Amino acid sequence: MHSDARASFGLRLGAILGLLFLHLPIALIFLYAFTTEEKSYQFPPPGLTLKWFGVAWERADIWPPLYLSLKVAAIATALALILGTLCAAAMTRTRFFGRDQITLLVLLPIALPGIITGMSLRSAFAVMDIPFSTWTIVLGHATFCIVIVYNNAVARFRRLSGSIVEASTDLGANGFQTFRHVILPNLGSALLAGGMLAFALSFDEVIVTTFTAGQQSTLPIWMLQELIRPRQRPVTNVVAIVVFAATFLPILIAYYLTREGHETAGGGK
Amino acid sequence: MTTRPATLPVRGPGDRLSDLFWRRPRLLLALLIGPPLLWLGVVYLGSLFALLLQSFYSIDEFSGLVVPEFTLKTYAELIRPSNFDIILRTVMMAAAVTAGCIVIAFPIAYYAARYARGRWKAAFYLGVMLPLWSSYLVKVYAWKLILAKEGIVTWAAEGTHTSGILNALLSLPVIGGNSLSTSYIGTWIVFVYVWIPYMILPMQAALERVPTSMIEASSDLGASSGQTLRTVILPLALPGVVAGSIFTFSLTLGDYIIPQIVGSSRLFIGQAVYTLQGTAGNIPLAAAFAVVPIAVMLVYLAIAKRMGAFDAL
Amino acid sequence: MTAAVEFRNVTRHFGPVRAVDGVDLTIAEGSFFAMLGPSGSGKTTCLRLISGFDAPTSGEIRIFGEDSGHVPPNRRNVNTVFQDYALFPHMTVRDNVAYGLMVRGVDKATRRNKAEEMLSLVKLAGYGDRKPGQLSGGQRQRVALARALVNEPRVLLLDEPLGALDLKLRESMQDELKALQQRLGITFVFVTHDQGEALSMADQVAVFANGKVAQVGSPTDIYERPATKFVADFVGSSNVLPPALSRQFGGPDAWCSLRPEAIRVVEGAGQVTGTAGSARYLGAGTKLSVHLGRSEDMEISVVLPPGQAVPAPGTTVALQPMSGALHVMAGEK
Repeated sequence: MHSDARASFGLRLGAILGLLFLHLPIALIFLYAFTTEEKSYQFPPPGLTLKWFGVAWERADIWPPLYLSLKVAAIATALALILGTLCAAAMTRTRFFGRDQITLLVLLPIALPGIITGMSLRSAFAVMDIPFSTWTIVLGHATFCIVIVYNNAVARFRRLSGSIVEASTDLGANGFQTFRHVILPNLGSALLAGGMLAFALSFDEVIVTTFTAGQQSTLPIWMLQELIRPRQRPVTNVVAIVVFAATFLPILIAYYLTREGHETAGGGK
Repeated sequence: MTTRPATLPVRGPGDRLSDLFWRRPRLLLALLIGPPLLWLGVVYLGSLFALLLQSFYSIDEFSGLVVPEFTLKTYAELIRPSNFDIILRTVMMAAAVTAGCIVIAFPIAYYAARYARGRWKAAFYLGVMLPLWSSYLVKVYAWKLILAKEGIVTWAAEGTHTSGILNALLSLPVIGGNSLSTSYIGTWIVFVYVWIPYMILPMQAALERVPTSMIEASSDLGASSGQTLRTVILPLALPGVVAGSIFTFSLTLGDYIIPQIVGSSRLFIGQAVYTLQGTAGNIPLAAAFAVVPIAVMLVYLAIAKRMGAFDAL
Repeated sequence: MTAAVEFRNVTRHFGPVRAVDGVDLTIAEGSFFAMLGPSGSGKTTCLRLISGFDAPTSGEIRIFGEDSGHVPPNRRNVNTVFQDYALFPHMTVRDNVAYGLMVRGVDKATRRNKAEEMLSLVKLAGYGDRKPGQLSGGQRQRVALARALVNEPRVLLLDEPLGALDLKLRESMQDELKALQQRLGITFVFVTHDQGEALSMADQVAVFANGKVAQVGSPTDIYERPATKFVADFVGSSNVLPPALSRQFGGPDAWCSLRPEAIRVVEGAGQVTGTAGSARYLGAGTKLSVHLGRSEDMEISVVLPPGQAVPAPGTTVALQPMSGALHVMAGEK
């Protein structure tokens, strides 16, 4: 191997094939939403049609799950934003005993497989006789969304020049004024990004949700049921596109938000 | 000029509270950390505790009700052949998935770490991050379409006259099946696909830390590129590989959607937990099953820690 | 004259580290006061104790006679120019400067006028609409200065204010800061590790070492009459003479300092004889090292005025201190 910056043909082929492996399957979802064949996953599709979008729109059983998913994601995101930001603020400002343990605790819900979080909550509901409701779903989602907001907020706090908070205090601002005029404007895009990611994660979550939903259906649970017992397959694809867009767009926005923040947050130096 | 005071007056409650926090910084800290700590402590740790508690309960065979008394009976049930098979099957699948992820992730991570620059680097990053974050269920569904008997793989095999190979693969004992979407091979492919970004990212991070000069030094000393790869790059990338494998291993252990949608009808741990807590109503056994991935992971983490994997996280 | 800031036996510990260790200090109102010392000497901690970002472990700090112990930083009429300037990246230069007025509830029109006034004071009129990111280092420094002055503080603290600037800019800023301080009559307290900066700008200099104040005095005091070996060493290039050597030079039996330019190399017999060592041309003279004995500390520096012949290394030279140049270091026993 020489020190020139060109990869061997084999390596490049491997890398490109790997990336294709990651992306092509998703493209298929889009294709199958237009197929005229509704009983099987025949490839190539015998014909293409737009009618499934109309059919999906008319299907009454899709709307309540969609509504529930949006509601849960919105509440869980709001909770995660508050709790994650508080935690990040506490962790950046001071060093104290038990700091590492708290970091671990924040990370744990996403580090352990979802089934453990799900089954744990299910056990707790059983022990305490808590009936399933929107709130039992929210409880689980908010728990694993905290870390997403936390990570984004902590990274931004770290990048912020520590002395701008002191500068604000020095110039006569009290803690609340400093928060409003200095911390919030600088933290804003990171929180927005964190919120977007948390929303995407919650909207799409299925593993924990199946344990905390009882008889309720979120959109991913509806999809899961369709996958196990398919009715109109292309309609499922239309829903899949909606779910995909609802997670994909926030992620893309979050990526650009934090990338831009990288340049502006350093401007104080 | 002398009229300007050295100390400014308190103007309203904002200043007063601010003064208090300045005098008592611990109070502010407690107010900040309190709510998230309470949430995670009560909701999450409390639930984990409930899980452990339930796993030490048992179910009354006649009434089907949970007996809230401490017993190891439920754990003993895990070792029954039918249940132990489930555990074994899951752990073996997790190992196979981890191995698959390592092989496929390496060229991507290596290319991104060493050769991709500027816009390409950003493109690679997005190219890995987007599949990582995009809808899990949609990804699984996509593979259901691909692997289905009448789907794209069969079509492609027919088009390239390689149906023979596909059929030979499917006729293999144990891992084969009626179609890819109902065989272990299919389950394995989907697992690898869904968890591979978790392998690429830490691997890339570890590889980026290998200095170029070290690779040059190795080839300078006369090593072939194969030898350099084996003796220099792989050992240095190992911590990243182990870090990534923690994710792929743990996520496979706990998943129940993928084997349910793509695979044979034989159960994995996740499915066992799901069915037991739901239709069977045997929460103690479900809880005991859910403790298994935790236990396996603890063993795995202990080994990984010895190999220095946590430096790469 | 009242004291602007007074340290009374102030101590600040960080765990086992005594960052500030029993400091007594009086900073006169209207003075330009420098805290000089190497990094880790406690000077920056002292500045933070005045601004209120740190609290003393024991002792008290009085600002214009008032005990500041219960006054948080935002209610101290003391403002700071931070080392990294700490400009708010999301605000325009004008909003940065007007910030102190805004949080005090001053109306918008007044704020704007005052900010513009401050910007012209620091020669940045017309820059109000820019963002800090669009300014050069020197310009940012001026914005930080204008922002700190807008509240008309009674004490202005400057933390290594010129540290991030290049040499040329640093020199012109020194003059400007000095002029500004004289014009406004505000007490300036600045922290620096650069002795040249401290000596050229300050009226009073406190030299810090290991959390203690080694010496306080005018720049001349510090430079010409260092109280300790540390000050002599850190502030200038004085020769530090142990008691034995002091006696040889005709001084008392005590540690003394002797400035290199206050020693003449003479023809014939002098007070002390030594062997000429290496010479270094300085422009305004030549610095010659002279060995008075074998050991390292028996070597002293002498500055030869321009025009005087430089003795070849190894030749014997006779040295004669100027009268009164030998200074006893009271801080050394």
